[in-house]
Amino acid sequence: MYVWIWRHLPGNAWVKALVSLLLVLGTVYVLFQYVFPWAEPLLPFNDVTVDNGMPAGGAMTEWR
Amino acid sequence: MGLRLVVRTLSELCLTIGTLIVLFVVYVLYWTSVRADGAMANELDRLEQRWAAGPAAPAAPGSGPGTATGTEPAPDAGDAGPSAPPPLAGEQPDDAAVPPSPGGGTRRPAVPAPRTDYRSGASFAVMRIPRFGPGWVKPVLQGTGTELLKKGLGHYERTARLGETGNFAVAGHRRTYGDPFKDLDELRPGDAVVLGDGTSWFTYRVDTRPYRTLPGDTAVLDPVPAAAGYRSPGRYLTLTTCDPEWGHSHRLIVWAHLEETRPVAAGRPAALSG
Repeated sequence: MYVWIWRHLPGNAWVKALVSLLLVLGTVYVLFQYVFPWAEPLLPFNDVTVDNGMPAGGAMTEWR
Repeated sequence: MGLRLVVRTLSELCLTIGTLIVLFVVYVLYWTSVRADGAMANELDRLEQRWAAGPAAPAAPGSGPGTATGTEPAPDAGDAGPSAPPPLAGEQPDDAAVPPSPGGGTRRPAVPAPRTDYRSGASFAVMRIPRFGPGWVKPVLQGTGTELLKKGLGHYERTARLGETGNFAVAGHRRTYGDPFKDLDELRPGDAVVLGDGTSWFTYRVDTRPYRTLPGDTAVLDPVPAAAGYRSPGRYLTLTTCDPEWGHSHRLIVWAHLEETRPVAAGRPAALSG
């Protein structure tokens, strides 16, 4: 995969290295800006409310 | 050639997935907090500016009465009177019928009615918890949506307003997005939770050790939360976050009651300076 990309990049080795670096940076940007913000709510860290934003329905009380 | 290609592709795939996971962990642990700290600082700045511009908000405590605005404080709140907060437009289902008698040793506050507008999604107050350190200052926004909680703490919209009879309930992230309620489990009875809305400082005192409950237990938001041991109507505060720290199987709840209300002009409450 990476060999295939390297082969298809234009120019000599230095140009290829530079373009590769730009590709990596672009990928990280896309991940941080779009992919991770989409994936993060699928993990449990956002559940901090007791009603998940819904109005109160049947509530179960626990007495200590 | 065939086998070599398969092995190489497989190892490249593993490397890629590993890098992705590391990047994601960096994003969750570090980047969300960077973004949230910036957003919270923005909200705090916006509040400061609004309070500085509003006629009802006196200048910062200690700067003296001779400010440039010089208008009478709170002309819009004068008709409400100190002991009669404006009735809510059907927002609260239960405690509207409750007589506004302070319960549980709460002193009757002698301050003008809050002029906070409680616009959904907007910040309206600042919370400080001395146990979390003097640098712990978080904005409180109206609502508890996922996007909103990235910018600060969220006030459950159907619960009471700040300082009023009923239950003022606030949710916050335990982890990620600035970790605002990371140390909520360290709160103990007697700890102060101070909220300011630009007009008044509200000092709440924690009454219970952190209480662990299930995610659907909305009774903790009741106007008189029974699990906290409260029996009579009063001015209560509820803080909720997730438990365990990185999980979502339970919720951690802390209850407090209003101990003191003082106008901003009277200076910061003792709980903050002590």
